[in-house]
Amino acid sequence: MPKLIIDDREIEVPAGTKVIEAAERLGIKIPRFCYHPGLGSVGACRVCAVKFLEGPFKGVQMSCMIDAKDGMVVSTTDEEAVNFRQYVIEWLMLNHPHDCPVCDEGGHCLLQDMTVSGGHGIRRYLGLKRTYHDQYLGPLVQHEMNRCIHCYRCSRFYQEFTGYHDLGVMQIGSRTFFGRYQDGTLESPFAGNLSDICPTGVYTDKPSRFFGRRWDYQRSPSICINCSLGCHTVASGRYREVVRQEARYSEAVNGYFICDRGRYGFFYTSNEERPRQALVDGKEVSYDQAIREAREKLGELIKSTGPDAVACVSSERSSLETQAMLKKICQTKGWQGPHYFLDESMAQKVKSASSRLESGLAVSLRELESADFILVIGADPVNEAPMLALAMRQAQRRGGKIAVIDPRPVSLPFEFHHLNVTPNEVNLCASLLVKTAVDLGAATDLEQPGIEFYQAIPKLETVSSSLQEQIAKVAQELKESKRPIIVCGTETVRQTTPALAADHALLLQATNKQAGLFYLLPGANSFSASLLASEDGSFLETLEGIENGTIKGLILVERDLLLHFHDRQRMELAFEKLELLVVLDYVNSRTQQRAHIFLPTSTLYEAGGIFITQEGRLQVVPRAHLSGTPIAQVSGGNHPPRIYESEIPGGEPRPGWQALAELVHEEPQPDENTTRSSVLNGLSELNPAFATIPAIDELPEDGMRVSSPEESSPRFSLDWIHELERKESPDKSLELVLVNWTFSTEELSQYSPPLMKLEKEAAVFMHVDDATSLGLSDSDKVTILLDRGALEASVSVKENMAPGIIVMPRHRLLEWQKIETLPKFVSHEEIKKVSV
Amino acid sequence: MDWMIGFAILIVKLGVVLVGLLLLAAYLVLLERKFLGRLQIRYGPNRAGKFGLLQPLADTIKMLTKEDIVPEAADRVLFLLAPAVVAAEALLIFAVVPFGASVTLLGKKIPLVITDLNVGLLYVFALASLGVYGVALGGWASNSKYSLLGGIRGAAQMISYELSLGLSLVPIVMLARSFSLLDIVRAQAHYPFILVQPVSFMIFFISAMAETKRIPFDLPEAENELGAGYHTEYSGMRFGLFFLGEYVNLQVFGALVAVFFLGGWRGPFLPPVVWFLIKILVISILMIWVRGTLPRLRYDQLMHLGWKVLVPLALLNIVATGFVLLIIG
Amino acid sequence: MKSALEAIGALATGFATTFKHLFRKPITEEYPEYRRPLPERSRAVIVLTRDPDGGERCVACYLCSAACPVSCISMQSAEREDGRRYARWFRINFARCIYCGLCEEACPTSAIQLTPYFETCERDILKLVYEKEDLLVEHSGKDKEYNFYKYAGVVTEVGDKGAHEREEKPVKIKSNLP
Repeated sequence: MPKLIIDDREIEVPAGTKVIEAAERLGIKIPRFCYHPGLGSVGACRVCAVKFLEGPFKGVQMSCMIDAKDGMVVSTTDEEAVNFRQYVIEWLMLNHPHDCPVCDEGGHCLLQDMTVSGGHGIRRYLGLKRTYHDQYLGPLVQHEMNRCIHCYRCSRFYQEFTGYHDLGVMQIGSRTFFGRYQDGTLESPFAGNLSDICPTGVYTDKPSRFFGRRWDYQRSPSICINCSLGCHTVASGRYREVVRQEARYSEAVNGYFICDRGRYGFFYTSNEERPRQALVDGKEVSYDQAIREAREKLGELIKSTGPDAVACVSSERSSLETQAMLKKICQTKGWQGPHYFLDESMAQKVKSASSRLESGLAVSLRELESADFILVIGADPVNEAPMLALAMRQAQRRGGKIAVIDPRPVSLPFEFHHLNVTPNEVNLCASLLVKTAVDLGAATDLEQPGIEFYQAIPKLETVSSSLQEQIAKVAQELKESKRPIIVCGTETVRQTTPALAADHALLLQATNKQAGLFYLLPGANSFSASLLASEDGSFLETLEGIENGTIKGLILVERDLLLHFHDRQRMELAFEKLELLVVLDYVNSRTQQRAHIFLPTSTLYEAGGIFITQEGRLQVVPRAHLSGTPIAQVSGGNHPPRIYESEIPGGEPRPGWQALAELVHEEPQPDENTTRSSVLNGLSELNPAFATIPAIDELPEDGMRVSSPEESSPRFSLDWIHELERKESPDKSLELVLVNWTFSTEELSQYSPPLMKLEKEAAVFMHVDDATSLGLSDSDKVTILLDRGALEASVSVKENMAPGIIVMPRHRLLEWQKIETLPKFVSHEEIKKVSV
Repeated sequence: MDWMIGFAILIVKLGVVLVGLLLLAAYLVLLERKFLGRLQIRYGPNRAGKFGLLQPLADTIKMLTKEDIVPEAADRVLFLLAPAVVAAEALLIFAVVPFGASVTLLGKKIPLVITDLNVGLLYVFALASLGVYGVALGGWASNSKYSLLGGIRGAAQMISYELSLGLSLVPIVMLARSFSLLDIVRAQAHYPFILVQPVSFMIFFISAMAETKRIPFDLPEAENELGAGYHTEYSGMRFGLFFLGEYVNLQVFGALVAVFFLGGWRGPFLPPVVWFLIKILVISILMIWVRGTLPRLRYDQLMHLGWKVLVPLALLNIVATGFVLLIIG
Repeated sequence: MKSALEAIGALATGFATTFKHLFRKPITEEYPEYRRPLPERSRAVIVLTRDPDGGERCVACYLCSAACPVSCISMQSAEREDGRRYARWFRINFARCIYCGLCEEACPTSAIQLTPYFETCERDILKLVYEKEDLLVEHSGKDKEYNFYKYAGVVTEVGDKGAHEREEKPVKIKSNLP
């Protein structure tokens, strides 16, 4: 731990800390352009010069390039260093255009800050300014190359950090150019970060162009709920809408960056079609009237048929408060539900994931970066949770090895082993891999069930020889690793897989490895949903109840059944049978349009809320702005209305928990904050796991982990072996695997106009062998006959995927909800090529 | 029957005096503003009516229609009472001021004074002293620091100048040998007292300005230090009452100067009442001129002038007058 | 005694001075009958000027609204087809404005300027809320020369990359020739 003196103040920092970082810990911010704590040092911009007075270095040096050493005496205010920095700024400004007023970076521009604080105001150089032509870089990033100061942050981030290569450096010297070889959309799903890291306005945020300056925004810490990782963001509100979302540094979750889905997935909240008015049978009424009618109708229904006739369904995007409120209501009123998952097997998978995530195994996303081996079982990181891919990339950059066991054509921006086995073989393949890597002799403290589990794993010879070879190769790397982490998905895997992944992590831990376990869950609040989910009854039973008339009333809280349920036709018929359909939501979903009574709820940005990430991290989100129709929509883009009003137009929506409380209680309800704290105080009655959480305002900034009582689920279960023995797939048919894509499948980001422009065409993936036997080639159009009719899509033929499956995205433009039961198998005859 | 007629005459006199005083007060304001304007090389109010003649009316309407604000923390009763005390005190003094000799109407002799007290002078002092209550109570009841400071200053200043005001008139009483104001006027049948008592006149004039809190003695309401001093928190017609009191006081002291030093209503050619009015106006214009010329005194200067200059001077004057009277017999 | 005489002398001078004032003609300028022409730089009603070529100068950079100490300026920026930025709407609440001129100082394009015109009284306070159409004028105001887009380096109809004042031709990124 070297000790050094910076500006007459002593500080002790860990070895390897750069001087610029040490100074920052003292609260001294040394100017910087190329240095970024996430990217490291290169010493390209020369603006972090400080003077070293004593120690191993002397004179003016770059503070970002020099490690702190014992005995150093550093001055940031020495005249020589100050002058040096001032000259650097001046020459960086030689070619900088005079366009701050029309630059969207203005107001949060590092170059502006440094120029002003460096004291450079009047241009002395009278020569000509260098210019560049700009490029079109897609719908997310605006390019204006004239402003560049050649700090190399963008190319380092894009190529080294994220591993994508379509943006980089061209030319040399003062002609250096950063961009693509030619105009085109950036390929990386992390491209939005360019506008955050660029110290000036070369890359600016395109969707939020023109909206305003940083100082005008109501900036509020928030999180992303577009996948289960819960990355930290800053939401910037202006004129009653969120106009921009940026990454917020989080030590435990996302580090400095976020993915584009998270960054631009917030547009649902200011969507023009968003219903903000309560509706009764399609007619706009006041909130209170809608609630009164709903209460009356519910009362009549219960009076005539009993409380059993009402069922409740919520979702994984509702906040913990809303989920818990619904649960409490169902408990006290005797209503059915609530169901948070539509698919019973998914509910089980999430349940076992949340219960098997022991504190000794669980790792955070940032801890994943320190792994030297990552085994991904049944997950497609870039498509399911892009930031996971970025964390894996960091592990890979540090020398970690990556293996992915997944039937899908997984593509990652770095080198990895892909074991593209069929969905049925995923469990077996993972087990074989771990078995090969683990030497039972070394696992001295493994208990009896563990040994039995190990021995029950079949021999390596049960799989094909090519796979054997692959497994052996990967197993060797796993064997050599010290910090292996297992990443387990839940979307496409079998019901037993999450538990199996945990068992394998325990096996690895038993052999003196610092093993970790990391799950991916289907939704932002799946974890809390699984903690609250009731044991008895599934959504399918409720659906049958509706069909046979025992259930007459349905309350849907922020849940779009017509989007998520795999059989839309059946769902619609069921809706017709209902006497009362109450929908509470903040998006104009198909289901919302079917509601008898609709109550608008407010979004995360308007109400705040608690979300629990896939690692059980409970995070509190404060409100970013008040609910109301954005001014731009009220005025149609022209000047705001010239009237004085005390009410905010479109300010009707209430938080889900509040609307629910008002829906069931006759007496006037306290305000939303009181309701919220009473729900939160009652949490531990719903699940003892919540007993450990302190008061909301005492939570640490990065949130805290909640874990379910550990003994609740059995370790080393052998269920998966029994599952292996059942051969499910009929001969000569392809299993339909429904998957998510980075863009265009996740529910909330589907409402985002900039992300719509990034959507790829809805295509199904097929292995080369299957395609040839069907006589199909790449980008052919096919119709696939499903239970409720045919579906047209183009085919993408892949080699790096498992044969015997069709990978179909839940694309918003693909009507895939035509499946009677899952898993679904499609025979060759049901796939027909469409001749053009 | 006789009693009835006497009462009716009294009522009529009261009405005439009251209306005259109020009207005069209103136009004194206009006069002050116009005259002050000319002293400062500007026009003064000239928009309401010809030469701004309707300005008093406009001001009255404005003040009557303005919101009457009572501060939340004020002592409500005293707050409402204070302006009335000031205005009533000023009006009441006029009860003993003679504004003419008697007239004979329908064979009945009517004195042109509301009531001729034989201790009229003491009555005047008693009421003038009461005026301090309005200021002090108003300042106290407002519950505001500026008002309180103004009220305290007002009380100190008025008590101090009360002394020299009283002492300056002792020689007059010695000369007239009566406390009745009517007798004092009659005593000046041959020459006005200003000729024999110029020092008394000076002391009375200065003290009267201090008593009416006029520049250069406007410390209780010094607007650049205290907002408006004791009436900072007043608005509407309640403020109007303070204002009214001030200008009625101006007339009262004008009238007293006329009675004590200028021979009262006496004068050639013109009717006595007109002479009386002219004298009041001349004194008022003199006071306005002082206002337009002199800056406000500092507090220590104010006290110095009162206690160390005017009081000793008045005492000396009494001794000198007594000495002279003794010699002349 | 001497000081008393001096004091009386001083008083007499004072009274003489004010007395003489009585006979001077008042220096008052009576407002509605006589309107004194105000200096060009006096600060009253705010306008949005145009550049010498007739284009709107305001680029909606939000600097005036940031500088405004009473927050009476609000706007929304947008882009024309030719690449020029403009204010989609621009609002000044003159009921709140204190005519301090900080917006004019902050304006990087000389667009927002204060004019000597001040007679804007209204009985309805909403009429004091001026929109862009009320503010935009057809001249260049005090700055007759400046056209921001000649210097900004961004592509508009005023000039392409490299075609503005003191700019080199754009770098050819696919050629090694200088």
